[in-house]
Amino acid sequence: MINTILIFPIIACILMALVKKKAFDCAMVNVYAILHFVSSILLMFGIGKDGTMPYFSVDNTNLIFLLILSLVFLMVAFYNNGYVKTFEYPDTKIGYYSFMIMVFVLSMTGTILSSNLGIAWIFVEATTLSSAYLIYFNKTKHSIEAAWKYVFICSIGIALAFVGIIFLNIAQGELNTLDFAQLYKNASAFNPFWLKMSFVFMLFGFGTKMGLAPMHFWLPDAHSQAPSPISALLSATLLNSAFLVIVRVFKILDIAQCDVWARAMLLICGFISLFVTAVFVYHIKNYKRMLAYSSIENMGILAIGTALGGAALYAVILHLIGHSLAKASFFLTSGNVLELYETKRIKSVHALMEADKKTGWLWVFSFLAICAFPTSVLFISEFLMIKTMLVEGHYVLCALFVLLLTIILWGIGKVIINMTFSKLSEDKAPIIEKNRNKLCFSMFAPQFIMLLIVFILGVYIPPFLNDIINCAMAGF
Amino acid sequence: MENGFIILLGLTMLYLAATSRIVSHIRLLIIQGVLLFLVCACHFQHQSALNIAFLTVETLVVKAFLIPWFLFKVVRKNAISRDIGANIPHFYCLVIASIILLLGFIAPNYFVGSEGMKMISPLYFGISLAIIIISLWLITIKHKIISNVIEFITMENGIFLLSLSVAKEMPVLVNMGVLLDVFIAIYILGLFVNEINREFKDLEVSNLSDLRDYE
Repeated sequence: MINTILIFPIIACILMALVKKKAFDCAMVNVYAILHFVSSILLMFGIGKDGTMPYFSVDNTNLIFLLILSLVFLMVAFYNNGYVKTFEYPDTKIGYYSFMIMVFVLSMTGTILSSNLGIAWIFVEATTLSSAYLIYFNKTKHSIEAAWKYVFICSIGIALAFVGIIFLNIAQGELNTLDFAQLYKNASAFNPFWLKMSFVFMLFGFGTKMGLAPMHFWLPDAHSQAPSPISALLSATLLNSAFLVIVRVFKILDIAQCDVWARAMLLICGFISLFVTAVFVYHIKNYKRMLAYSSIENMGILAIGTALGGAALYAVILHLIGHSLAKASFFLTSGNVLELYETKRIKSVHALMEADKKTGWLWVFSFLAICAFPTSVLFISEFLMIKTMLVEGHYVLCALFVLLLTIILWGIGKVIINMTFSKLSEDKAPIIEKNRNKLCFSMFAPQFIMLLIVFILGVYIPPFLNDIINCAMAGF
Repeated sequence: MENGFIILLGLTMLYLAATSRIVSHIRLLIIQGVLLFLVCACHFQHQSALNIAFLTVETLVVKAFLIPWFLFKVVRKNAISRDIGANIPHFYCLVIASIILLLGFIAPNYFVGSEGMKMISPLYFGISLAIIIISLWLITIKHKIISNVIEFITMENGIFLLSLSVAKEMPVLVNMGVLLDVFIAIYILGLFVNEINREFKDLEVSNLSDLRDYE
């Protein structure tokens, strides 16, 4: 199964380059999405786990990340079918677009499945390179600025992560391996000084990719300039794959008992992320940038949860699931809003409910899901995290956490309410009337399914998912 | 001999800090590539044939030929000659770069006694870190985006030297993947330089500051 997920896109890309038909390209993305989803489900049941592929494996930790990637990619591919129809570009350009989506998802899958730190590094850098074209897709002045910053900042970040890998090599002493299983086995004998140094570099390197503040500068630009399905993939899956690498490296420090240092670093990065979002969320003039800042906030929450450890780890994984689905749905809906109003400016968007009922409700429910309104699964995760802080006696941290989240919630909530309600202005009405027909069934259904899952998970977590989460906790 | 090459590598960074002609910066990259090859060649007797072949290709073909050739093409296409408007005058650039390089010479000697340093030679380690830091610092003060690409490459060269300082081989597959990624990254950045020049008519970094939250 692992072979299938990794080799199919390569064959498909070669075919796409040969056939050069728009319909074929779009069909291939769908086929890959379905194949990816089916393979992940089979892997979940342990079928085809023992592949012959060296350097790649499915274990308890990456299974949940793989499932999230599969589900989000399936939904995005479904949405993309409707979205591609709204393009007014030549067929060859849409061909490149589909091609790069395949490569992008392949590199994310490679990052998640790799059982070797070096290979994971290569695939993380590959995600940067493959998504650069997707961010530059609209070919405007702004999109080239965003793409340049993205490639440049992330490449430097990833290069510094490689310095971390070299330091890890020094810390190993006589041993010479980058295989995670081997690293875990021998971690207790590593040199603590070099191990700590290597964590600093890797946290900053992979943290750049994950969007942790203060390395987040590329994120709002890239997310706001990319086409909406790509923003959804960036936010809901790319950030997770970088997080997985950080988690794996964190585990090495945990075994080597240098975890106090690592936890402090994660905690600092997490709170800076929350703080940055809380500060910037009030000055944002572009609603896609606002969603990007919300991603930074949620990555901060994941970092804080990982740093807390213990019961908070269960919350981290729930938060990961909830954030990915809710944010993907939010970004996809923002694509509908952009299609309707033809602007990303918050001030130019009013009366979404009146313009299009379905988009309006999806917009509101995506907001409720992301702001942890019960029964969103994010409510459970944030509640558990606050509980852990209180039980462990971190009262100041808890107060700060709640305060920052409230500020962010208020900032985002104000914008969402302004955009959704009030009266539609006269000059906007004809534009919206013209654009409403562009929105088709496939541009609503994926968000509905994802939000349904988010809200159901808040009241009922199926036993099989519970097992997966409990297994994954052991890998943190 | 080996130490001489490494010191020369460190000195190339001073030249980079003190000059403003882009073409001579690219020539400098060729020199760095050749020097890296010579540093590698000093270790060839301890290494497997596969690794020797790989290192030769990486340093001589990619670092000393392909990347500079591609950059020369970019420079010619966009008619770029100098990067004059750095934030700091060149003289101070040179002074600060020299201080960083000096610290690179001195600082690692204090760690020689520690346990982890058994694996690495202090000279390698110090100079490679100095190259990385000087490159990062130059990225922040230069005004043309092509200079930023060149400094990104020198930083990668510094990291390559650092990985040589650890007397252990990484799997060839990992090395090849790293090389491929870096090469494609530079290729993409080069293409973006062309696009930016077409879109903005010049290559000042300050053009790329339109996306922000405060107006």
